[in-house]
Amino acid sequence: MDWLNKIAKKSSDIVDRSLDRNVRVAVTGLSHSGKTAFITSFINQLLHAPLTSQLTFFQADSENRLRGSKLSQHNELHIPGFDYSGAIKRLTNETAKWPLSTNGVSQAQLKCRFNVKHSWLKKIQAQSTVTIDIVDYPGEWLLDLPLLHMSFKDWSKACRDYLKSERRQEYTQKIASTISNQNYQSQHQDEVELSESVARLSTEYKAALLDYRADYNDYGLALPGRFIMPGELKGAPTLDFFPVLNDDVLSLDWEQFEENSLLRTLEKRFDYYKDNVIKPFFNEYFSRVDRQIVLIDTCTVLESGYEAYQDLKLTIEKLLEGFSYGRAHWLKRLFAPSIDKLMIASTKADLVPPDQHAALESFMQKMVAQAKNNVGYEGVEVETMAISAIATSEAVATEHAGKKLLCVKGKEERTGESVLHYPGIVPDKPLSRQHWDELEIDFSAFALPNLTPDEPLPQIRMDKVIQFLLGDKFL
Amino acid sequence: MSDKPVKFYSKDKAHQAAEKLVNEAVTSSRASDDGFQGQSLATTKASEIQLLSDRKKPWYKRLFWPSLSAFIITAAGYEAYQFVTGLLQENWLLGSGVGLLAGIVVISGGYSLFKGWKARRRFKHRQTQQQQFEQLLKGKSYGQANQLIASVTDEVEQYVRIEALKTSYEQKKQQVHNDQELIHIYSSSVLQGLDKMALDVVTKHASEAAAMVALSPLAAADMALVAWRSSKMIEQLSQLYGCPQTALGRFEMTKRVFKNMMLAGASELVADAGVELLGKSLTATISAKAAQGIGVGVLIARMGLQTMHLCRPIPFGQDDKPKLGQIRKSVYHKVVGLVKTASAGKADKSDDAIEKKK
Repeated sequence: MDWLNKIAKKSSDIVDRSLDRNVRVAVTGLSHSGKTAFITSFINQLLHAPLTSQLTFFQADSENRLRGSKLSQHNELHIPGFDYSGAIKRLTNETAKWPLSTNGVSQAQLKCRFNVKHSWLKKIQAQSTVTIDIVDYPGEWLLDLPLLHMSFKDWSKACRDYLKSERRQEYTQKIASTISNQNYQSQHQDEVELSESVARLSTEYKAALLDYRADYNDYGLALPGRFIMPGELKGAPTLDFFPVLNDDVLSLDWEQFEENSLLRTLEKRFDYYKDNVIKPFFNEYFSRVDRQIVLIDTCTVLESGYEAYQDLKLTIEKLLEGFSYGRAHWLKRLFAPSIDKLMIASTKADLVPPDQHAALESFMQKMVAQAKNNVGYEGVEVETMAISAIATSEAVATEHAGKKLLCVKGKEERTGESVLHYPGIVPDKPLSRQHWDELEIDFSAFALPNLTPDEPLPQIRMDKVIQFLLGDKFL
Repeated sequence: MSDKPVKFYSKDKAHQAAEKLVNEAVTSSRASDDGFQGQSLATTKASEIQLLSDRKKPWYKRLFWPSLSAFIITAAGYEAYQFVTGLLQENWLLGSGVGLLAGIVVISGGYSLFKGWKARRRFKHRQTQQQQFEQLLKGKSYGQANQLIASVTDEVEQYVRIEALKTSYEQKKQQVHNDQELIHIYSSSVLQGLDKMALDVVTKHASEAAAMVALSPLAAADMALVAWRSSKMIEQLSQLYGCPQTALGRFEMTKRVFKNMMLAGASELVADAGVELLGKSLTATISAKAAQGIGVGVLIARMGLQTMHLCRPIPFGQDDKPKLGQIRKSVYHKVVGLVKTASAGKADKSDDAIEKKK
């Protein structure tokens, strides 16, 4: 009977492989959109699901088919692991703190064992395992995509136009004039000295633009993704470059420049950045990711002004551009992307009373409508949702000025006292400049509630997120 | 009326009232569009595309059935009256006895008519509930489903004990869930439990009827059997979902069930045809009577599923629709098992007979 067992084992392997029960979920979003909290909660929910079946809308769980799940070591050993236990420890500490944010790529692997549902597959194998890889990377890096088909000259021109605006000049005037005064043509004998001066200038350039970005939340081409989030490349010479801003230099033919000139050095670094930083990143993430979730902090957008909203809208459109590869798109020729499901989620829904979740979602949906449409056109399934990875509040109904009002109740961040909060009316569609100025809205963040590691983290709609991203793998 | 262009100024007092009205009209129409603003329930129903019902039948056509039944009732009443008075004149004891009987007939008939009317109303109410749930499922409203769900739970609780299902629903629901999510949770917790019980009822009745028909020697008895079992099943199923139907009220329901079976059943038939074809060679090996039994069983199962569709407060989703396949299997096994034991019994008997002869 030995050979029979062998055949059974083999057929089970074949089923596993042909069904592809490995799924790679990529999590991204701009900084402070709640990526780390999301991944912590995502892993936490899946780890607790077989024990408590708390994930109502995750079909495999509500049908009680999950047998067990555990964290395991991922195969891509060059990617740092996601510190799940550390995050949980911070959350459940005596003085609870949010998990430390990650500054680069990190990965975690989960294995879930479940009872097979499909009536035919069940006969071959009663139980199966889904391997889930969760990869987290900064959304800022996605913004580098347009750089890929730009030369250093194109990029410099784009930067020159970008820095011309009045709003930006306030921050960048000083460094722009310093850069313009450089001698690009002259030969340098000492390479180390040249490298040091370039590093100094580029640090100044980055600092000026980062200051501007901190105030306006504006992501432009002039600030490549790794300038904002260097990750493991912090201090690497490939990040030391800046655009040429002089009109006279830009109009020259650059062929005539010497090998050791400042301009050549900058160009070399830019090309190196393109070929050895951006390309491998997109190669790794686009061609191997199956499911993508983009997190957007809609609450903060609503609190800031009209300008910030427009800027962020543009940024998100740029960010999502990476997923709307057309049939003959150059991206597709380069990487063969494999994403088939994309979720755009508005995080921190726990700051909004539940009756306004629909408005929050609709507002976000309209903000990304064009990008969503483009992505959907490529046959990628797109879904939007208002979620909260770790809920810090509960909904409470109260009466105010004779009217019934739904509020959220949580602990105030400063004093730790229990407060009821009504954030105002969340608009369900983008507003005009005037309406935006009139908008009275205030989402105050709550402190973390008391959490224990033995129970699943409180959440809003994480079960729906899991069902959308993974549900079809648990057949 | 002039064709000249006219300009209104917003500061003009007389004009302000009119301007407001237009604004209000615009905002209210937008509110009903959005779905989560609340008033969507009533308005969207009106916008549905429907064939106008033929209300414009001439009055003399519409009056046919009422007048005929009124005529028959009066005639019967008059005849009965004459009959009783005639008997009274002959013998007061006989007359009053028959009169008493007639009185009982009138009272009990009236009572069952009343019950039937109530059951019909309940059934209509269930239909509106279904429509309301369907409306809520389309939108993203908040806070409207709770009341509706509570009323359904109350109705079901009068006939079925559902504490366990209710607690599982209470555990699963959260404050943050919107109507759509709540309805899904209710459907997958409480109603799914009821569905399971309902399927058991359908399976039981279908296989019983199949066995009876397979064993019954008379064709006329078959028909009576089908009528009896199916009406019993409809009664039980409707009670399970909290809108019990009585003998008279069931008439409406049975009509709807048959209508739906003819219409909706056709598509199911196509889906099932493949399996049925496969099964045919098997059924052919059993006697014709057993095959008839299986046919009747499947018919009753189909009726049962249609009744479930009509009585379930929240319409079935695409995935959780009950399927005929499972019931058919148990019907088939029941009948085949019966035939096997019967034939085995016969074989035993004939063996006995042979031995006795010896």
